[in-house]
Amino acid sequence: MLSAGIALVVWSGWQNLRQRRSAMQEQQNRRVDLVPDSQPAAAGDSSAGESQLRGKPAPAFTLLDLNGKKVSLSDFKGRPLVVNFWGTYCAPCKIEMPWLQEFSLKYAADGFQVVGVTYDSEVGKDAIARETQKLGVTYPILLSTPKAEKDYLSNTEALPMSFYVDKTGKVIEVTAGLGSKDQLEAMVKETIAAGGR
Amino acid sequence: MKVTRLIQTRRAFASIAALALVTGAAAQLGSAQLGNMDTPAKPRATVLYAAEPQSVPAARRAVLELRFQIIPGFHINSHTPKSELLIPTTFTLEPATGVKPGAPIYPAGQPYSFPSVPGDKLDVYAGNFTIRLPVVATQGDHAMDATLRYQACDNASCYPPKSLPIKIVFTAK
Repeated sequence: MLSAGIALVVWSGWQNLRQRRSAMQEQQNRRVDLVPDSQPAAAGDSSAGESQLRGKPAPAFTLLDLNGKKVSLSDFKGRPLVVNFWGTYCAPCKIEMPWLQEFSLKYAADGFQVVGVTYDSEVGKDAIARETQKLGVTYPILLSTPKAEKDYLSNTEALPMSFYVDKTGKVIEVTAGLGSKDQLEAMVKETIAAGGR
Repeated sequence: MKVTRLIQTRRAFASIAALALVTGAAAQLGSAQLGNMDTPAKPRATVLYAAEPQSVPAARRAVLELRFQIIPGFHINSHTPKSELLIPTTFTLEPATGVKPGAPIYPAGQPYSFPSVPGDKLDVYAGNFTIRLPVVATQGDHAMDATLRYQACDNASCYPPKSLPIKIVFTAK
């Protein structure tokens, strides 16, 4: 009886260890990447995406706005443009967007245009409209698609991402993350000046 | 649920003495696991749950401590971010037999500003943080499935909200 009892205790302990080890291994396997294979971005990092699009024609897109109207890149042909990817959850995006709004008005006479592309369009048009209204944004807000994200963002999920497109339709700069307001305005001016008169 | 079934099967054979023995052994295993987690072989951008087994008194209110680790350079919104526009960190539990959980107790956040806008204060978790979970559990081993939902940023950019499924393993005795 005694040896049977000892054997039961040992067997039970071994089973428990196996079970715990299995649970712990399962937990280890559940590590979730925030930003796989990337490092924290520098503020206003202009190198992000540079190798992808800088110096190349901006990829064409046709996306829906919050009213369900189709808006294409070609609608802004001949105008200096910022294509700004943002998300409703993105605090730095919401700091930057009022600046973009201000510059879209300040440089309207130069033909300057801002287009916001909402990365998390799955939250719905109403939620997006509420957010942009709170931010005082009146420039076009479009709903992203997987194709637009593939064409512009490649594999990154970092927001905000801005693509500065000159009058000829060429991407002259790509920035990731929040920089200063002065940096942003300098880029806007450069975009307006680029591509000739 | 697989783990829960294993526990139930084992419970049919184990004596109280055996339970005490394996609890100690499991605690040692947990320490080893946590040690590995603190020193990952390849640093990556991750939020981790320190999956350590815990022991609490059975049949009365106890508190589990759930420890999470955010890698350097990143932060996540606290449970009470200062803006309604931001996504708070939330913790949700699946029902588990023999366990009555209370409302999770979130730690206070810490103030954070993006470098380019130093006057704009957010409320975030960075580094290590612990969520405390009150429970009343029947005697024995328990495993609960839970999810931590969070949204992370670095010093300039933000990343989509993520859900981190975890398994809470503890013994009530």
